[in-house]
Amino acid sequence: MSNPSNSLKISTFVCTWCDLTVSAFAADGTRRNHCPSCLHSRHVLDQVEGGPTDCLGRMSPIAIAVLRTGDWMVVHRCVRCDELTSNPVCKDDNQLILMRMAVRPLAQTPFPLEAFGTL
Amino acid sequence: MPRRNRSDGRDGTRRPQRHKGVPGDRGVPRTGDFRCVQCRLDVPVTAPGTAHRNHCPNCLASLHVDRRVPGDRASDCRGRMEALSVSVRPDGEWLIVHQCLTCGELSANRIAGDDNALVLVRLALRPLRDGSVPGRILLAL
Repeated sequence: MSNPSNSLKISTFVCTWCDLTVSAFAADGTRRNHCPSCLHSRHVLDQVEGGPTDCLGRMSPIAIAVLRTGDWMVVHRCVRCDELTSNPVCKDDNQLILMRMAVRPLAQTPFPLEAFGTL
Repeated sequence: MPRRNRSDGRDGTRRPQRHKGVPGDRGVPRTGDFRCVQCRLDVPVTAPGTAHRNHCPNCLASLHVDRRVPGDRASDCRGRMEALSVSVRPDGEWLIVHQCLTCGELSANRIAGDDNALVLVRLALRPLRDGSVPGRILLAL
């Protein structure tokens, strides 16, 4: 006899940007909060006051931050209320988008980089 | 024992008030100027390229004074904010993402024209510096 509640124990969410159905836990057991394919997230936690928020806007990845341990974090920005969050990257996140975000500032510098060649 | 001269106003000859200039005159500090919490540099609030300077142009440190809206001055944290990473807008403008060292809050601000370019490039190169993560990612691509 099949138990229908077994299938409900596998928690998934649907990405708000690319509509991919993602399992909520990564392979190593950590909980995901962004889509591994397009790295977009959803604004469910209020960072200023803590606790849940009712914004539920889409959060797009804007930057890569580095911890002192050398691990990468993805900085997300809510497209609806402009709040910022940072989340650790998972092992199976899209490496092309991660590397593209990391080298993006150096591709579009506001000043010429030739001056640093003499340093 | 106090001196018993009569020049303290009781005889009617009050000392005239010192002249106080308006902000922006010589010798009068302009309101909004601040001193950096990290490198103690005196920073004028007028900056080339931006009207909303909130970080030191020398060391890029900032102070946590705003809560949700930039400029509301509603936060009571007052912690030091350190530059965490660099983000790029779709039009090519750089933003500095600051993180408060006291409460961990994040904020973003556009760079100014006189920000230290060497510190900015060091910040932008931080994800690509030697570490296991960029090597693993480049091998996977």
